[in-house]
Amino acid sequence: MRSSILRVSGPRTRSTAAKAAAALVAGAMAFTLTACGGDDDKKDDEGSGGEKGAAASVELPKLDGQKLEVAAVWTGPEQENFTKVLDEFEKRTGAEVSYVPTGNNTSTFLGTKIEGGKPPSVAFLPQVGVLHQFAQKGWVKPLGAEAQAQLDKNFSTGWKELGAYEGKQYGVYAKAANKSLVWYNTAAFEAAGLTAEPKTWDEFLQTAQTLSDAGSPAVSVAGQDGWTLTDWFENVYLSQAGPEKYDQLAKHEIKWTDPSVKEALTTLAQLWGKDDLLAGGSAGALRTEFPKSVTNTFSGDTPAGMVYEGDFVAANINADTKSEIGTDAKVFPFPAVGDASPVVSGGDVAVALKDDKGAQALLTFLASTDAAEIWAAQGGFISPNKEMNADKYKDDVTKDIAKALLKAGDDFRFDMSDQAPAAFGGTQGTGEWKALQDFLKDPKDVAGAQQQLETSAAKAYKG
Amino acid sequence: MSSQLATAGGPANPVPPAGKRKSVMGTRPWVAALFLLPAIVLLGALVVYPIGYSVWRSLYDADGSGFVGLGNYGDLFSDDATFTAVKNTAIWVAVAPALVTGLGLVFAVLTERVRWSTAFKLVIFMPMAISMLAAGIIFRLVYEADPDQGVANAVVVGVHDTFAESSVYPKARPSTESDLKASGGGAFTSTGTLSAGTPALVPLVGIAPNKVPGDPGDATSAEPSGDGVSGTVWLDFKLGGGGEKGAVDAGEKALPGIKVEAVKDGKVVASAKAGDDGTFTLPAAADGAQLRLPESNFAAPYNGVDWLGPSLVTPAIIGSYAWMWAGFAMVLIAAGLAGVDRNLLEAARVDGANEWQVFRRVTVPLLAPVLVVVLITLMINVMKIFDLVFIIAPQPSQDEANVLALQLVNASFGGGNNQGLGSAIGIVLLLLVMPVMIVNIRRLRKERRR
Amino acid sequence: MTTSSVPLKGPGEPGEPGSPAQPSAAVDAAGPPERSLASKLAGFFAGGAVRVFLVVVALLWVTPTVGLLASSFRDPTDIAASGWWEVFSKPSQLTTESYSTLLGKEEITDALWNTVLITVPATVLVVVIGAMAGYAFAWMDFKGRDWWFVAVVALLVVPIQIALIPLADLFGDLGIFGSVLGVVLFHVGFGLPFAIFLLRNFFAEIPRELLEAARLDGAGETRLFATVILPLGGPAIASLGIFQFLWVWNDMLVALIFSDSGSRPLTVALTEQTRQFSGNIETLAPGAFISMVIPLAVFFAFQRQFVSGVMAGAVK
Repeated sequence: MRSSILRVSGPRTRSTAAKAAAALVAGAMAFTLTACGGDDDKKDDEGSGGEKGAAASVELPKLDGQKLEVAAVWTGPEQENFTKVLDEFEKRTGAEVSYVPTGNNTSTFLGTKIEGGKPPSVAFLPQVGVLHQFAQKGWVKPLGAEAQAQLDKNFSTGWKELGAYEGKQYGVYAKAANKSLVWYNTAAFEAAGLTAEPKTWDEFLQTAQTLSDAGSPAVSVAGQDGWTLTDWFENVYLSQAGPEKYDQLAKHEIKWTDPSVKEALTTLAQLWGKDDLLAGGSAGALRTEFPKSVTNTFSGDTPAGMVYEGDFVAANINADTKSEIGTDAKVFPFPAVGDASPVVSGGDVAVALKDDKGAQALLTFLASTDAAEIWAAQGGFISPNKEMNADKYKDDVTKDIAKALLKAGDDFRFDMSDQAPAAFGGTQGTGEWKALQDFLKDPKDVAGAQQQLETSAAKAYKG
Repeated sequence: MSSQLATAGGPANPVPPAGKRKSVMGTRPWVAALFLLPAIVLLGALVVYPIGYSVWRSLYDADGSGFVGLGNYGDLFSDDATFTAVKNTAIWVAVAPALVTGLGLVFAVLTERVRWSTAFKLVIFMPMAISMLAAGIIFRLVYEADPDQGVANAVVVGVHDTFAESSVYPKARPSTESDLKASGGGAFTSTGTLSAGTPALVPLVGIAPNKVPGDPGDATSAEPSGDGVSGTVWLDFKLGGGGEKGAVDAGEKALPGIKVEAVKDGKVVASAKAGDDGTFTLPAAADGAQLRLPESNFAAPYNGVDWLGPSLVTPAIIGSYAWMWAGFAMVLIAAGLAGVDRNLLEAARVDGANEWQVFRRVTVPLLAPVLVVVLITLMINVMKIFDLVFIIAPQPSQDEANVLALQLVNASFGGGNNQGLGSAIGIVLLLLVMPVMIVNIRRLRKERRR
Repeated sequence: MTTSSVPLKGPGEPGEPGSPAQPSAAVDAAGPPERSLASKLAGFFAGGAVRVFLVVVALLWVTPTVGLLASSFRDPTDIAASGWWEVFSKPSQLTTESYSTLLGKEEITDALWNTVLITVPATVLVVVIGAMAGYAFAWMDFKGRDWWFVAVVALLVVPIQIALIPLADLFGDLGIFGSVLGVVLFHVGFGLPFAIFLLRNFFAEIPRELLEAARLDGAGETRLFATVILPLGGPAIASLGIFQFLWVWNDMLVALIFSDSGSRPLTVALTEQTRQFSGNIETLAPGAFISMVIPLAVFFAFQRQFVSGVMAGAVK
């Protein structure tokens, strides 16, 4: 309650000063601003004020006194990091931005807010499918010229297209995820005498076998969370069948009974079918949630050797284990099953739900290198922005992960299950999640799994 | 001028003066209307209107643009998941309310006999003060499969292990290069045969060299032993790797205690145990036999019960529901008990009834109205239960644990965002409660006639 | 709980005056003296069994909560690595860090206040409106009374989820979407069916004679309601109050959608502190205890109502 009073009076009194602001007052202002933000006050120690010194790479309008609400799924540390970006935006425009978390179900949250007539100005959508659905209903507003200019300057075509629907650009992929990473426990590798990171699937299996021989559970698979299994499949499939097939399968232009799917599942079964290679065997894997798969690998008496998932594994390593990234925990790209290593990505797309200047200005800012660099400096974030200075990343591991993503150019593919209708690719207990869990339970039954996938895909894509 | 129609602004109709006894006070219609008005208005706007909306919405497709008639209902009843959901909802309705009411009754009556009843009531009541989310997390912790994390399995495994011994080397197995292959049931048998004079090599892997139980010494290569068959069982992997596979290298650990058998035509002709340096000697009879490592060497440790697996998941969640809601039943029944005439109980005791008889014949009948309230409330509550199931049931067994309300939430908000189907499930739920309501009507009629 | 040696008072006769207090720890202290020794012995063992049973039940009930409590005082890395009972052998693991992190955040303290702002009116309104309607259904005569009552009870089954969208729509039109009032109204609507159901059934048990007596004294409906029904319905009203309070207090779904950044309660603020893709025990466990403090205080405040026989005393 107290903070809301501050929020009202703060930015207004400060607005003219902001225009003339020299670097001298920047520090003091940063203080007022964080107080105005109404969020916690412990974030003012980091130097977002430093950005001021450098010439801004993006022109933003003055929005003194305007109020904006931003909604995204992030909470906790992720939310704090993002708030830094919003702070800078407030500082440059004089607008007041508040952040609301959407909870796990972004589309329900936003849907009801829209029904109630109070949508946030800008929201981050976690799935491509939701963007399309919202665009169809006319809930999202197209990008303005300034935001479009920033987007054209800083983003590759692949990332731009992901934010478009029927030829119109709606969204900015301000945050990306690299989902083609295998994290490993360096101590387990050392104990097993492994010195090289595997580059191909065969080497990967060999590595797993060696780890298992050495007495550590080789790979921890988070079978209880179906989405990790879809990510496994997507990496294998993209590398083995190639991007064209991947796109076709994502659109359900080829069926899940296609031979290419059979091949990918058979490949996966080389790992999933060997209880010796999975932490806890396949039964144990099915009882493992994603956070547990990370702690399985980086803490406890007999840690597993490797765990597969995206860059966000780092957050769990930092929070839930005593391992240090870069020394105890390292990462290598998902091994090449076919000719090249796959790059599967995910990300959150920022869209405007209100047709106003503030929302457009924020999207413009989010598409700029300035925003990306501030965000990157907080850690736990990678950007698809190709023009940003990669040295701004908080640590080298993140920097390398981000580079790997950009290096793929337009050959990366977006998470297939996020492109699929949610009933198939994003609902627990059904669709692809459930089918792959059943396949993990019985990896011999490739045909059965294909049939199950096709049946539920046919149902979900029809609608 | 007693008892007149006072609802819905209808004209005051005289009511048959027959059942008059009930109307103590000859209420004027506008007074009754006044007492009911706030509730009726709020319920109409906040609950009935959404029902109407749902009925209408259930006739439209996922995003509300196309009229599909009863299509959603058709989809619902042609879906296998619905069958499981209905079955589980039936189990819930049959078991949980009775269980919880029974517990609440027992607790409420028994606590009257102890001085620390307030402390006890507080303990039972406390789960009610915990949010569903936290309760779900608590029971994820309780039912966690890993006995090092989940208290239920820690107890089960602890009890089990005091009665049964597990093998020493549960995770060990012959290395892939060795001649020993899995021969079913967890045992391994060699493809070749033993021969006297040639020491058998039994290289095992799969145990971390620094975690071998008992921390044995290094293995030594067995010397050939006359007519018998000698051999070595050792861990063919040392810390940091290296060494030649299939050869006893310096620094590789012995695996004492491993049982080896010589098998001819499926019959065990000789057996031995590896000594402290990993060596064993089989008698001459073993010559020409196959070497077998029986499964007792490798039996996996007992890991407890898979509480949240497909078969136990619903009982396990009902258990957590009982934990949460017993306090509800107890508090309401205690409130009812407060109104029970103690003299009646005393009279029964004086008449020589024992405590059980007093409970059965006097207390329970006196509490019947409260028990019915509690039971019905719980039945209806259980039909709506979804959050506990949603949080506690792990994804792979959520199918087996599915209930109607969860299906509703999943259909409407679970990603598919099919509000049409979700609304249809809501309406089905509403219809399913009708039997309970009819029973209730009968009860009211009877009560009136009293 | 050091009562095992205390001779038990006879069941169900609170302070009956001349009951012969028997020092021999017989359960039925007030039992008539002519009872046989055997039945006294049986009573004693039954009493002992009752106490043992209750202790076992209490332990069983408290264990999960203790687990959560122990977890709330542990570091997330320890939580992930081992079971909570390890704190008993390694007390050094205990840390209040999770609590200080949470309580150090202004959002949390602000949200706690919002929770009170939402919960108190939502509880009071439900109790008052529910009691009025319950009284009408129990003691007033009007046509179709039972059907109306059953219709209200049927509303108990309406799942909250089906109301989210239509009510968001309605509240948006009324301009109260996102306000505390909107959240309160939602809870009142969905709290009323249970309130009416419960109170009607309790009120119906109030002896007719009492009401008739008051009536003869010339009391009108309002006075009857205030002077007879409300005091006699004390235990039921207290129970309803505490449950309604708890349900609203712990609600997250309604608050998540119907509140905004200025009016969000503790449950929503807590989820903001969680991490995506995490067990989040280090946030949810202390959060659960922080948010339990006030409800338990309320329970203590009302517990006299549950235990003492307000109604019993008045009726007899």
